[in-house]
Amino acid sequence: MDRTQLLLGLAIALFSLGLLGVIVRRNVLVMLMCMELMLNGVILSLVTFAQQTATTVGAVLVFLIFVVATAEIALAIPIVLLLVRDKHTLDLGAYNDLKG
Amino acid sequence: MLTLIVLLPLLGFVLNGVLATQLGGNRVGKNFVTVVGCGLPILSFLLAVKALLDLQAGGYVPIVETAYRWALIGRIPFEVAFYFDRLSAVMTLVVTGVGSVIHIYSVGYMAHDKSFGRFFAYLNLFLFFMLLLVLGRSMLVLFVGWEGVGLASYLLIGFWFDDLANARAGKKAFITNRIGDAGFLLGMFVLYQAFGTLNMDSINSGFAIGAAAVVPASLVGILLFIGATGKSAQIPLHVWLPDAMAGPTPVSALIHAATMVTAGVYLVARMSGVYLLAPEASAVIAIVGTATAFFAATIAIVQTDIKKVLAYSTVSQLGFMFLALGVGAYGVAIFHVVTHAFFKACLFLGAGSVIHALGGEQDVRKMGGLWKKIPLTFWTFLIATAAIAGFWPLAGFWSKDEIIWFALASERGGSPLLWAVATLTALMTAFYMFRLVWLTFFGASRMDPEVEHHVHESPLSMTGVLVVLAALSAIGGFISIPHFLEPMLPLPATHESLHHLETPLKYLAMAIAVTGVLGAWYFFGDGAKRAARVAQTFAGLHRWLSNKYYIDELYERVIGQPLVWLSDAVFLRFSDRRVIDGALNGLAALGQRSAGVLGRVQTGSLHLYAWLVLIGIVGALLWSWRHV
Amino acid sequence: MIEALLTNLDTLLLALFAFCALVGATLTVLLRQPMRVALALISTMVFLGGIYGLLGVHFIAAFQVLIYVGAVMVFMVYVIMLLEVREATGPLYSKLLLPGVVGFVLLVGTIGVSVWRHLPAPAAARGDTAYGITKFSVSFLNEYWLHFELTSVLLVAAVVAALAVIKVSRRKASHG
Repeated sequence: MDRTQLLLGLAIALFSLGLLGVIVRRNVLVMLMCMELMLNGVILSLVTFAQQTATTVGAVLVFLIFVVATAEIALAIPIVLLLVRDKHTLDLGAYNDLKG
Repeated sequence: MLTLIVLLPLLGFVLNGVLATQLGGNRVGKNFVTVVGCGLPILSFLLAVKALLDLQAGGYVPIVETAYRWALIGRIPFEVAFYFDRLSAVMTLVVTGVGSVIHIYSVGYMAHDKSFGRFFAYLNLFLFFMLLLVLGRSMLVLFVGWEGVGLASYLLIGFWFDDLANARAGKKAFITNRIGDAGFLLGMFVLYQAFGTLNMDSINSGFAIGAAAVVPASLVGILLFIGATGKSAQIPLHVWLPDAMAGPTPVSALIHAATMVTAGVYLVARMSGVYLLAPEASAVIAIVGTATAFFAATIAIVQTDIKKVLAYSTVSQLGFMFLALGVGAYGVAIFHVVTHAFFKACLFLGAGSVIHALGGEQDVRKMGGLWKKIPLTFWTFLIATAAIAGFWPLAGFWSKDEIIWFALASERGGSPLLWAVATLTALMTAFYMFRLVWLTFFGASRMDPEVEHHVHESPLSMTGVLVVLAALSAIGGFISIPHFLEPMLPLPATHESLHHLETPLKYLAMAIAVTGVLGAWYFFGDGAKRAARVAQTFAGLHRWLSNKYYIDELYERVIGQPLVWLSDAVFLRFSDRRVIDGALNGLAALGQRSAGVLGRVQTGSLHLYAWLVLIGIVGALLWSWRHV
Repeated sequence: MIEALLTNLDTLLLALFAFCALVGATLTVLLRQPMRVALALISTMVFLGGIYGLLGVHFIAAFQVLIYVGAVMVFMVYVIMLLEVREATGPLYSKLLLPGVVGFVLLVGTIGVSVWRHLPAPAAARGDTAYGITKFSVSFLNEYWLHFELTSVLLVAAVVAALAVIKVSRRKASHG
């Protein structure tokens, strides 16, 4: 197994673990963190592929993803904060107002 | 000018229909209605006379007048055109002439009716359609007139529609007519496909030069005859005419005696070009006509309503006309149309006068001894009865005798059997007509005392018309119409071997008429006691005849009830409710149920949604492998 | 043996870092308390940064540690501490544990098979010249300056949105 295969396998594992975590964990904050894990897996695969070309496009894209991830987390956490303050619990089972 | 003849009654309909009815607010009085309603038909009659003179002056070349082009389909024009030749002249004069006098009669008869204006509007409408029928050049125009007179007949039969029975009678007439019209339409379709035009003169000449090889003349003949059966009340579509007596008596006289019911006869005579080449169809017509004549006469013998007797008499006489048509004597049939118009109209109007005098009584069992009380009515009625019975030299003798002669001797289908049945029917005709006279006018009075007290002669507008018609019945036979029509409708050749019988048969006809009178006097003269005894002896037969051979009940059982069942069980309950509504409701229910099932995805649980995303990714990837 | 170790050092280190990152990722799914989950995630990210460095893209490794660990995860830790999550009671996993695991296996298998079919040729040598920071920044600010400006717009929008969220929450708190 060469490097690329190893890294891609890792990326797949990270992404899948992240998605599994979103499905499986009940704590809202942990779910957020698993989403970050998914993002990391994607960035890893992007870097792996980008590093094989001669242009800088891949690196630029990675940079932009960082920025977006930051902005996203900057907003997701306050929203979660408000939700938690409203429901008084961090358990996702309580957040089913959109049922039906 | 022909267009004007047709349009004047239409104008009358519009004026009276709008101004003299509730539609226009009853703006005008009876005088206006009378002047417009009677004046316009009289004007049409005068114009028809002028047209006849023009025709004569032009050497009897047919006058053709195109009013306008109705439609242009592809490259084929359909025009509303009018055609005036000898046959049209005869029919137009009868329609407008007899029509006008009946209009005048109606002024007196309907004087106390609350819908005076509406009546005249409908009468004028009828006249308009009838003129379209007899003057139309194309079968399409004729058909418009055909349907239109059916409509007018429906409106007039059900004139007093407050009584549901009258409305039902009107419906029956219209629907029975329509059944015949199906045959008529099919005949028209065949003709159109063969000739590319529906102009009757073109079709006749087309057949004359040998188109019979292309289109079967007998088929067309029979299809057109089916239409005539409906309109002219032959078996099996005769059932509407007796019921049509529910309408006012002038209607019965005009529509169901003189003009509308003869439309079928006119149609066959007009299409003689077809029937000359269709021996099978002609045979069918002759047989049906004879059977109808005989059948109706048997029923007329036992009827107790004065108008019903006359109705069955009309059916019977129409049968005679079709017999004449069937053996190729087209001109003679038209002759009988003319004479029949005279005496039957006189009879009906006379009956109307009797009914008017008795304040509405129509049952002959409650009449009697009227000859002194309403003499004018009596004498005109008697003359007309003698005419229909075939007394020389009145009109009926000439026309009926010709028919019976040709029934025997015509080379186009005359036979002794037809002659025998026709002669027997003539005997019955004389018999039942004089029975009617005896029961109505002679003998001791069987009237209600209240009614008897008010018996009075009818006003001049009514009796004057009766006199005119009686006079025509008397001398009308001398207008030799077959001779007049001969250049157009040649009389059929007769067997040489039978020529020596012609004069003896004339004497036989007279003898039959006298026998009929004597028979009626014998059975009914003495308070109808002998007749009552015969009726009791043959009670079963009497009941069959009184109930018109139960034909209406048969139709109801065989046709009416299965149709109702079909409509109810198959079309309503099954097709409409279960299939169509069921399909729609089922679709809606399906939509609702599937929505309910799909709605269960929305649990509000983010975990489920994320898991569905995962499954979606897996599915998409698997889908993308299908081309690997 | 030391020579063998030294010649293949980067590959070995790569494998080691990869394994540690995977362990960290697994721990984020398994640990109960959120603080520990956060620490596991931080360790994963740091190891990923190490991998980037081994690959030769140093500046991306720097960004990873600076931005991701230094900003995002710190913010995360801060929130965890704010919400005083000491209650580790209750069920740890949701109702979809079993379907989730099954789906996970399917996902890994499917993506793995998909990727393995279309793997590019084995990697060329480390072309770190293309990814020197100088080279990168020159090309970045010359060719991709529009994207750079757009990201700044995005950040402005995020700031405005955060302010709005605070305003709403304050108004709700004062009314409610």
